[in-house]
Amino acid sequence: MTPDMKVTIAGVELANPLMTASGCCGYGEELANLYPLSRLGALVTKSITLKPRLGHPVPRTAETASGMLNAIGLANVGIDDFIREKIPFLAKQKTVVIVNVAGSAIDEYVEVSARLNDQPAVDMIELNISCPNVNEGGMEFGANSRLTEQSVAAVRKVFSRPIIAKLSPNVTSIADIADAAAQGGADAFSVINSLVGTSVDVDSWRPRLTNNKGGLTGPAIKPVALAMVNAVYERSRLPIVGIGGIATWSDAVEFMLCGATAMQVGTALFIDPFTPVKIVNEMKTYLKKKKISAARDLVGKVRKY
Amino acid sequence: MIKPACEDAYLIQSKDLRNSYYSLTFGSFSKAGQCRPGHFVHVQLPCSDVFLRRPMSVASVSRGKKEIEIILKVLGRGTRMMSDLKKGDRINILGPLGVPFRLPRRSQTVIMVAGGVGFPPLLYLATEMVAKGHDQALIEFFYGGRSAGDIVEKPRIKKLGLKFHPVTEDGSLGSLGLVTQAVEEYITSRKGTVKTVMYGCGPEGMLKETDELGRKYGIGGQLSLEAPMPCGIGICLGCVVNLRQGGHARVCCDGPVFDIGEVIL
Repeated sequence: MTPDMKVTIAGVELANPLMTASGCCGYGEELANLYPLSRLGALVTKSITLKPRLGHPVPRTAETASGMLNAIGLANVGIDDFIREKIPFLAKQKTVVIVNVAGSAIDEYVEVSARLNDQPAVDMIELNISCPNVNEGGMEFGANSRLTEQSVAAVRKVFSRPIIAKLSPNVTSIADIADAAAQGGADAFSVINSLVGTSVDVDSWRPRLTNNKGGLTGPAIKPVALAMVNAVYERSRLPIVGIGGIATWSDAVEFMLCGATAMQVGTALFIDPFTPVKIVNEMKTYLKKKKISAARDLVGKVRKY
Repeated sequence: MIKPACEDAYLIQSKDLRNSYYSLTFGSFSKAGQCRPGHFVHVQLPCSDVFLRRPMSVASVSRGKKEIEIILKVLGRGTRMMSDLKKGDRINILGPLGVPFRLPRRSQTVIMVAGGVGFPPLLYLATEMVAKGHDQALIEFFYGGRSAGDIVEKPRIKKLGLKFHPVTEDGSLGSLGLVTQAVEEYITSRKGTVKTVMYGCGPEGMLKETDELGRKYGIGGQLSLEAPMPCGIGICLGCVVNLRQGGHARVCCDGPVFDIGEVIL
């Protein structure tokens, strides 16, 4: 029997638990040239801000051991062009569409989210209260319980469909921040955004990113992400979307066992854009071998000592 | 847009071209026949210490045999490991990627400006043009390097029958100076440039100079840019350049080939 890969996040059913991570698949057009987006459980767009942003000057990515640093700086087309030029394409895709929303002030999150509330093609939003790469706002919101609760609560008033709060690992207690987001009205969490890091060229003594620091992603951060997913899982009843270095089916299984209901693939898309599709297929083989009838049965089943 | 393949290929030949240059030919690549001059492939090494893929421009293809050749210079860890690959070794290739060169009209005089490791895509372009019947006497192939050792594959370029102009900074081969100086001398020695088109690929400074020559003398053409690029397909936004008309373009998928005057170099 084919294992049931369907999972549900805040009442929204996904065909499978694999999504693309924000900032790693643009607005979906490039991946759609490679495979139908219906193969994804959901597509998460690049962060959308009120005004268009070009982001930081290059170099804004740097390779590291088993990972990479980025400081793209929330480059995006802005909400107007997003609605005009990108939504029509997304509306035609047979997958769940999650729009990531970023801002430098609570008002900006609210305004962008309110505009998205009028777009039926948008199934959910993911609030980026954890971007390490912008000076104003971003991570500041997600590093502070009070601001986390306030920003989620403000968006809650204007967005009627599910809200996923994307949490930062750059905090003392991610579970406390998760509590605050839940208090504000979040329906789910995505765990984790990138870890703040840097890298320096020893010849020029220059940081390898013009932003001087960036967000570390890729397999290098997977153990950190798994521990944080589990910490949030043990604290909250809300569903978790696990993110951090997922590149293979076994990575995805580990995340589910630690408490993730769904997973996002980010950096691995840069190495192999087919990664989420391959993971879904290989997870099915694993589930069959283990005689598990549904992927969701793995959630939180880690057998702790 | 060509749908790229993402598949394993195998090294069938590695040739040491001296001075850290290597020619690598990979077989069993199903999209070899669709690799046009200017396209690149994104190569993943079969080891974990080089995490991201490496973009490599295509130097030649053997369509029926599903083979592609890349020519690289060892500059860092990734290229070192590639040069150490042995016959039969597997690598994963994502490609063809990017926007290729627009071929010139057959009546056009073509100035090629190649600098150092930027020469492979122009070698492929010249080979393709000659194969399609472009008069070799109309192809001026300028190829610059620091010294004679940096000008590789000379017999192969000469065999195309085009006008070959090696230029070295130390004068050890061809004319002395920068390749763009030699190109400017050539342009000013000729009367009209109306039917002339220019193609360039090489280091940043060379591209900037070539772009300026094109605009100064009213010669259109295209430049192939190089940039570190994690994804190669337009999803990471790591390889952007500033456009003269404003805004950004991604080198990997809006380029790597851009029109002269299009990009702020």
